[in-house]
Amino acid sequence: MTTTYPFESEATSDELTSVGTPAVRIDGLDKISGAAQFVDDIDFGPGLLHAAVVESPHAYARIVSIDTSEAEAASGVVRVATGADFPYKFGMYMEDRYIFAQDYVRFVGEQVAGVVARSHREAVQGAKLIKVEYEVLRPLLDPKSAVADGADLIHPDLSNYTHVPWFFPEADTNIAHWRRVRKGDTERAFAEADYVLEDTYHVPRYAHCAIEPHVTVSKLDHADRLTVWTASQSPHTQRHLFAEALAPLGFAHKDVRVITPYVGGGFGGKAGVSMEIIGAAMATLVKGRPIKLRWTREQEFYNTYQRQGVVAELKVGVMNDGAITAVEHKLYWDAGAYVEYGANVVNAAGLSATGPYRVPNITNDSLCIYTNLPPGGPYRGFGYSEFHFGLESHMDRLAEAIGMDAVEFRKKNAIVEGDELAYGAHMNPSGLHEAIDKTAAAIDWGVEEQSDNPNTVIGKGMALFWKAPAMPPNASSASFLKFNEDGSINITVSGMELGQGYLTVMAQIASEVLAVPVDKIRVETPDTDRNPYEWQTVASHVTWSSGLAVEKAAVEARAKIFDVIHQVYGYEEGSLYLEDEEVKCKTDPSFSKPLREFVIDGIQTEEGTWRGGPIIASGKFMPEFTNANSDPATGQGGHPNVHYTVGATGVVLEIDKQTGRIWVRKAALAVDAGRAINPDLVKGQITGGLVQGLATVLYEDMRFDEGGKMMNPTFTDYKIPTAFDIPDEIIPIIVEVPQPDGPFGARGVGEHTMIAAAPVIANAVYNALGVRITSMPITQEKVSMSYLEKLKSEHKQ
Amino acid sequence: MVIAHEFDYRRPASLEEAIGVLSEYPGSARLLAGGTDLVAWLRDDAVAPDVVIDIKDVPGLGDITLEGDILRIGSLVTFTELIESDLVREHAPLLVEMAETVASTGIRNRATMVGNICSAVPSCDTGPVLLVYDTTVYLAGPGGERSLDINDWFIGLRETALSDDEVVTRVDIRIRHHGGVYVKLMRYAGEDLAQAAVAVAVYPDNEYKVAFGAVAPTPFRSTRIEDALRGNPLDDALVADVVAMVDDETSPITDMRASAEYRTRMTEVMLERGLWEAIERFAGTGTTYGVRLI
Amino acid sequence: MQLRTTVNGEDWTLDAAPADVLLDVLRERVGVKSPKIGCERGDCGSCTIIMDGRTVRSCLVLAVEADGHEITTVEGIGYNGLNELQSLMLGNNSFQCGFCAPAIVLAATELLEHNPNPSRHDVQEALAGNLCRCTGYEPIIEAVLSAGGGGAE
Repeated sequence: MTTTYPFESEATSDELTSVGTPAVRIDGLDKISGAAQFVDDIDFGPGLLHAAVVESPHAYARIVSIDTSEAEAASGVVRVATGADFPYKFGMYMEDRYIFAQDYVRFVGEQVAGVVARSHREAVQGAKLIKVEYEVLRPLLDPKSAVADGADLIHPDLSNYTHVPWFFPEADTNIAHWRRVRKGDTERAFAEADYVLEDTYHVPRYAHCAIEPHVTVSKLDHADRLTVWTASQSPHTQRHLFAEALAPLGFAHKDVRVITPYVGGGFGGKAGVSMEIIGAAMATLVKGRPIKLRWTREQEFYNTYQRQGVVAELKVGVMNDGAITAVEHKLYWDAGAYVEYGANVVNAAGLSATGPYRVPNITNDSLCIYTNLPPGGPYRGFGYSEFHFGLESHMDRLAEAIGMDAVEFRKKNAIVEGDELAYGAHMNPSGLHEAIDKTAAAIDWGVEEQSDNPNTVIGKGMALFWKAPAMPPNASSASFLKFNEDGSINITVSGMELGQGYLTVMAQIASEVLAVPVDKIRVETPDTDRNPYEWQTVASHVTWSSGLAVEKAAVEARAKIFDVIHQVYGYEEGSLYLEDEEVKCKTDPSFSKPLREFVIDGIQTEEGTWRGGPIIASGKFMPEFTNANSDPATGQGGHPNVHYTVGATGVVLEIDKQTGRIWVRKAALAVDAGRAINPDLVKGQITGGLVQGLATVLYEDMRFDEGGKMMNPTFTDYKIPTAFDIPDEIIPIIVEVPQPDGPFGARGVGEHTMIAAAPVIANAVYNALGVRITSMPITQEKVSMSYLEKLKSEHKQ
Repeated sequence: MVIAHEFDYRRPASLEEAIGVLSEYPGSARLLAGGTDLVAWLRDDAVAPDVVIDIKDVPGLGDITLEGDILRIGSLVTFTELIESDLVREHAPLLVEMAETVASTGIRNRATMVGNICSAVPSCDTGPVLLVYDTTVYLAGPGGERSLDINDWFIGLRETALSDDEVVTRVDIRIRHHGGVYVKLMRYAGEDLAQAAVAVAVYPDNEYKVAFGAVAPTPFRSTRIEDALRGNPLDDALVADVVAMVDDETSPITDMRASAEYRTRMTEVMLERGLWEAIERFAGTGTTYGVRLI
Repeated sequence: MQLRTTVNGEDWTLDAAPADVLLDVLRERVGVKSPKIGCERGDCGSCTIIMDGRTVRSCLVLAVEADGHEITTVEGIGYNGLNELQSLMLGNNSFQCGFCAPAIVLAATELLEHNPNPSRHDVQEALAGNLCRCTGYEPIIEAVLSAGGGGAE
């Protein structure tokens, strides 16, 4: 089947030579040999200084005084900084954050002062000498308390904060943003429904746990140019935020350069700006010396973005025939002390909190609530994992209540192309039904399995997922492309290789258009001075957006190649094509010109003069159909989301009835990638995302004490998967219903693969034990004790 | 964290020299073997010794030998060496079963069993296993060598009978035919500290040793449970009786790792499964050592 | 204090304070960057090096303890070209962000040296101390099993 794509997107599947192949990653050799360089690996010479910060031990307090005198006099200390040095606000979508705390500290761990010293040891010792006096205030540690009548205002100045036009703060409250979606008439629909189910689901906070900690090296040179090397998903956005935050010091974008090499995992935690601003700011105080600020693993847990917690109140009405008629979803987000980025998570979730279903009547409220806990921010899934837990658990319960199979129930309501979305726009082409069918088949849905072990039972569960990229409507990508003498190609982009395989996918796209093998294409990591703009590597959007930019650059390069050939040899451009690194002609099979002969040097004409020269090209992409202009009261009217990626997850669990231990015997996941540019990398996202998702529901367990301090900021007590903690069998299923405006039909999948993990486990646990658990994590202990409770109450009857 | 505290480092070439250095720094020295505890504590600023005494060059502390019915394990023997030792696997298989649950290979290649009982954290894995064996600990100090029954080793929370001026040289286990289990409650399949642990060894004539870990300030044996079991073949009623004693015998805490209630409940489950498996292994019909019961 | 050590076949004489940790000395003074700083507690495994043929967590070793010992890192393993294990991992797209890769290569190398035909469980055991947040471990385990000749279950 041929679909017409923009930008002369290419041939039918049968004719593709690079796109659709499981190419070996172009960064693979770097990583397997030890050559791959991360920020902390870069040597800066003997002049490198080190920074350490002083952090608040209180969740909420007024800063009474800071005495830095002893630290300033300490051995090796070069400079000390406090909030007084940088009294500026900044933020990604809302300006509510500070470089160092100003007047108040709002979470345990918030940085209050910083020390720059000649060695790491002296920086740490110097920081210990800073004396801070606090007036301790009573913190608000959960969202419901923070919206209760009379609650203290964590940001009394909220109404004066600058923010993007699609945020709606509620003045004189702790509600930084309230996304409302109103469609139809839920009150009437509930009254007329055959069955209504209402319940509350609790999802706590989670940590990204990229193995590489945040780190930054910042240098203000003697010409007042600031260069910052960061482990970041977003070099251009970081440059933008540094320039904005430091503008009072006279900085503009041209004065700031951000360089980002390989990143050791991001998962959203290295998007936006978190600790990097501290390093960048302190560098402005020590001219001519690079300063390294590297976070410890503990700081990684409590002083970077966390995934927000949420209390989800869900009410759904259905008819006996299985049709969902109404959804009322109220999400109270524990968004933390600063919500400059996290408020967009709340926004994104609010717009899509119906899940991948056709729902005629909707009342959704998504509230971004300040609390005295670490700042919430972007985390793989961006709010969708959080609300899918309750939603997909609820769907199973509804199906059971009306006596319908849980999969049939979902299929009846599954959203399809053209259906109206919650906010008025329409659903893109997608293979949700195919995903559901293939996933259900992979786990033999409907076939009950018995365990051989008297201590265990087997249960099965299914859950669906969807997500759209959450971005500003004008988020863009750009790419430069150039050839080298040997016919190899350099592509510069500012998307980030976080591990997802982005560089390789860009190379495969260019390879397809230009008929140059992938291993002769280099894609260079960002330097904001040299690589063109990319908004951020988040939102699972760079395969689509940056892919289109690279495709356009490749198409432009191809056009220039054909133009030179036409000029010298006379062949019409329409008759030319590229194959095996050569230009060939459909109407003259005897013609072939190797690219390497002319992509730098040009071609000599019969007269002896030259045509062509270096083949260089550029491409950019920005969607021109999106807008965030929605009605604040109803959410209607905008087109905030470019498209949705959909899919399904199914599991077969074996559960020890006494201990609560869960073995995932089989996990199947189908995701509609539109076109898998590299099926191996898509499978990598399925496997990796599934394991990360399962971890959030099975054993990742963030705990805070009554003072708002995180109790387990180590891998000893915040457990992430080891090689033992993976399903016995993972069945990855790639569905391909093309995205019409995607490069070769592709859309993103990076976040989606973890979204349904939590509810699929809850559903399978119910299937096995008859226990419905509505709070995460669903740990061994919770399963064991819940089942024991159930047995005790049955025994009493 | 970078190690902010400064200290001396000595690497004695003999036991006498090691004891001598200990006496030079009374009360402010730390012995360094594998270092997987000590270096972590130094990094956390939890300890601040004036000297770290690296005993890895002291000869004669790294051997595993069998002399008659005594299995001798030197104090520098690592968990990996225990796991790879045919002697240990044959004569004290519970040590292997336990060792395989400790951390990971990179830690086990350095960490020592003796270091584990010297650190003596409540969840220490080695404690319960040595307690269900006939174990004697040998120490050397300025006054010469002395020995200590393992039952006198753990004297309080993170406190052992080792004096400031002594070095553990080896651990002896008197070998008898037995079957047993080391069952450890963890939060998932990957490495974890014990939230509760049960060690059982059954010897000829239905003699049982039963020890618990992570459910009291120290690892300990339950003589009450052992008395109830002694001389009696196992049956459902007997097992139920001793399982019912677990609650009184143990004093687990509620912390971020697990609740006291869950720890107690799981200790009951582990004891029940452990007892049945132990007699199977005694008879040679049980699962291979290393197969997890929970 | 002075310490003498051999790193990837090259002899080094270094000055280190007792409180200097081996991981930092390797990275900063010897210039070997493949052992990474991930948690500084021995939990994540990304600091793994091979010392005298065994993997150790270099974040929990004092630099002075390395005196008289031999250290190998992934730079030494692949110096004359990728070995079979590395080639299989490369071909299988075993790694994503690559931060854990050097340590995992070392852990798998140690396994295959002591157990040339490991089972899936053996491979999981050998790698259980190396945290990887990206891959879900499957493509890594597959490559190690291939290097071991398929693996007996």
